[in-house]
Amino acid sequence: MSRKTWLLVMLVIPALVLSACGGAKTKTPVILRIGYAGSPDTLNPTAGMLSEAWTMYELVYSSIYEPQYDNSFKLDLGESVTPSADNLSYTIKIRPNVKFHDGTPLTAKDVAFSLNFYRQNSNFPYMNGYTTSFANATTQDDTTVILTMNSPVPNIDYLLAYLYILPEHIWSTHTGADAMQFDNAAMIGSGPFKLVDYAQGEFVHLARNPDYYGTKPNIDEVVFQTFSNEDALVQAIKTSQVDMITEFPLTALDTLKSTPNIKVVSGPAISPELNDILMNQSSASNCPTTDGGKCTGHPALQDLVVRKALAHATDKQQLVNIVLLGEGTPGMTLIPEALIPWYNTTLKDYTYDVALANQMLDQAGYKDIDGDGIREMPDGSRKLEFRFNWPSDSTVAPRAAELISNMWSQIGVKLQLQALDPDALTSICCPAYDYDIIFWGWGSDPDPSFLLNVMTTNQIPTGSNETGFSNTTFDSLYVQEGKELDKNTRKEMVWQMQQIILDQVVYIIPFYTNAVQAYRTDTFTGWIADQPKLELQNVLSLMAVKPVK
Amino acid sequence: MKRFKYLLNKIKWAIFSILFVVVLNFFLFRVLPGDPARAGVKDPRMTADAQQAIRIRFGLDKPVINCFQTLNPLKFGNCLINPFQTQFFIYFGNLLKGDLGISYQTNRPVGEMLGEFLLNTVILIGLGQIISIILGIILGLIAAWKSHTAVDFGAMTFSLVAWSLPTFWLGIVLLFLGSTYLGLPVVGKFSAGMSLQVGWLKFWDVAKHLILPTLTFTVVVLGEYMLIMRSTVLEVLSEDYILTAKAKGLSTFQILVDHALRNAMLPMVTIIALNLGFTVAGAIQIESVFSWPGLGLAIFQAVNRRDYPVLQGAFLIIAITVIFANLFAELLYSYLDPRVQAS
Repeated sequence: MSRKTWLLVMLVIPALVLSACGGAKTKTPVILRIGYAGSPDTLNPTAGMLSEAWTMYELVYSSIYEPQYDNSFKLDLGESVTPSADNLSYTIKIRPNVKFHDGTPLTAKDVAFSLNFYRQNSNFPYMNGYTTSFANATTQDDTTVILTMNSPVPNIDYLLAYLYILPEHIWSTHTGADAMQFDNAAMIGSGPFKLVDYAQGEFVHLARNPDYYGTKPNIDEVVFQTFSNEDALVQAIKTSQVDMITEFPLTALDTLKSTPNIKVVSGPAISPELNDILMNQSSASNCPTTDGGKCTGHPALQDLVVRKALAHATDKQQLVNIVLLGEGTPGMTLIPEALIPWYNTTLKDYTYDVALANQMLDQAGYKDIDGDGIREMPDGSRKLEFRFNWPSDSTVAPRAAELISNMWSQIGVKLQLQALDPDALTSICCPAYDYDIIFWGWGSDPDPSFLLNVMTTNQIPTGSNETGFSNTTFDSLYVQEGKELDKNTRKEMVWQMQQIILDQVVYIIPFYTNAVQAYRTDTFTGWIADQPKLELQNVLSLMAVKPVK
Repeated sequence: MKRFKYLLNKIKWAIFSILFVVVLNFFLFRVLPGDPARAGVKDPRMTADAQQAIRIRFGLDKPVINCFQTLNPLKFGNCLINPFQTQFFIYFGNLLKGDLGISYQTNRPVGEMLGEFLLNTVILIGLGQIISIILGIILGLIAAWKSHTAVDFGAMTFSLVAWSLPTFWLGIVLLFLGSTYLGLPVVGKFSAGMSLQVGWLKFWDVAKHLILPTLTFTVVVLGEYMLIMRSTVLEVLSEDYILTAKAKGLSTFQILVDHALRNAMLPMVTIIALNLGFTVAGAIQIESVFSWPGLGLAIFQAVNRRDYPVLQGAFLIIAITVIFANLFAELLYSYLDPRVQAS
């Protein structure tokens, strides 16, 4: 090739590329770009477990009720849900003329099919859990579903809010084991957004559903981009490669706050990750030996005085300030404070008082006999030296463990700190009860029942009860609140249960972490960030957000 | 005939090594403590029934192998059961059919998932290798020719520094500089919405996303190639036939390319072939920093989520690549240097 030809090629290629770019711009829809560190495990709602997947289900599917930022539920696809006099059946009226994304009409048959589908498959990890009290769903006409119950429930709105309505013409061929393996690549729903393109572990590309029955979103399209490196998330929003990031390392907080055109917001998360310090309270009497129980916990931890002293010696505010850089609040019980109205606002936490903690241990006979700074059991048999483990994938635990170890050393308690792989931790935790203290956590749920369930005696053999705590009053209250139809009475019971677990120091909850998110102010506006809970990628927020220009 | 026998012998050992890896891979994950049905899922909504359903779906309810129900915690089981109903033989049988199993996390066939990831890795690594090989050879040749001058010193220093840089650190530095000053993308393969484009526009978008990870890879690997090339060329340049070539009045270019380069390529070919095998796995750090959806990132995510079928599959692919790269290197070596075969 001659030099002239080369020159021509060098000029023509960029020109072609530029013209291609220019040409496309006129047609390009407004795309909202969201960066997040996760990725949906599957687009199939019967199998999904990660919160990233559930975010997509909320956007693409509709359900009878829609969860709100204040923990309430608003009718969505449903027009009315009327209980029978005995509360053993519900008449569900759905909106007429609703269409699925493929143009097929959504009728009562699809609703009944979906409810029965979730109920009949006990292998669905989460979906089935919402339907355990359902007996059957039948159709009366095109817009009416009759849902019969095995027993009355207090929270039908909550139970129906996450049961996404699937098109029967697609899902009826995927039954049994095949249901969970169906990749659901087209993801046909009836929600405000529809799936455009998806690459596992890379991105999810959604577009506005032009046939949506409610108020349509203001944006044309939204792309969720997966980042495997959280520092890159920060860099991406700074260089305007994304418009919002759902999370970022707290160490970047100051940098982002001082960057022009970026707004950092924080608040209680919709589904917060709960952190807890769990103490092995299993005893020989309730050790689930047939289920692999070893119950080797330190005997001192079965003594309420010791647990109370540890609670008094924990400076939760310091943990919030140092571990969370202030982005959180001191914890109380396993029910997070943003879970209104279920969170008991009358609870009074153990004050941080090292002198009092020391005095309590002294009075109970835990004295430092050999003067090495570590107390001994009243009978002198063992030192108050506890194994303290945490999952190695936790970002907050290592710092927290170090601080807690220092705090508790002031009351003569020594900790042997060790991070463990989550699998190894599960195997020593429960139902093996082969540990002393673990810093771990739970996922949460808008209804308090699931979180209270993990402290019931029934859950000791399954290992969901991690502490081995067993209390008959608590157990019977749990059964009652699950049946109580009056919301206020149920609330009273749930509040009472929180009082019990706080009094018994089943867990020490170090803190409730905030969701900390950031968005660019020069590209999109209208993000919902002033509600009791924060989740910018929530369907309600994405419906409200609109381009700046 | 002799060559055929040599080949057969090598292939035999390669197959034996792969079988060994298959067995080791299987037991490695079973010896780890914990229950994949509960691992990573700490959610109160997960019922005991659903956990058991997961175990059944992935065959975890079956004994690992005759006499052993589980390996950690060690639980002895029935020794007299049909061995084909144990996890090991089911896994092995499926493997022979080309079925790598179903991912715990995504419920998708592992073979299909890894196929997508592998292609992306091959693009990134392939491009990086080509650039670093070409640059490495050229720079090594120049450094050797200009040995003990400022050029040589500069090239040596650069190579040593590049070779010893931690990959993830270099990646993050380049990510920061590239995105801040050149506006280069920092994540994935496509910009938002570009996956649906066709032709030049899509090609250009992927190319932009490839710049930073490829550059990181090139800088890290280049140093090694350059250093090896330099030392081999130096050795060749001291040979008598180079002196003869000079005496014949050949130009520097002719001496370097026709006489020195060819003879110096022997060790380079070996290193390149071996590296090809290892770099499939070696891209873990680069792919994680730039969220490049390749095999390395898949391994990183599978470790985080304890997705054992994906890990087993990925390790198998890496093992096969390394073994075949070795085999290829040996065969190539015997072709390039007949003395190897004779021995």
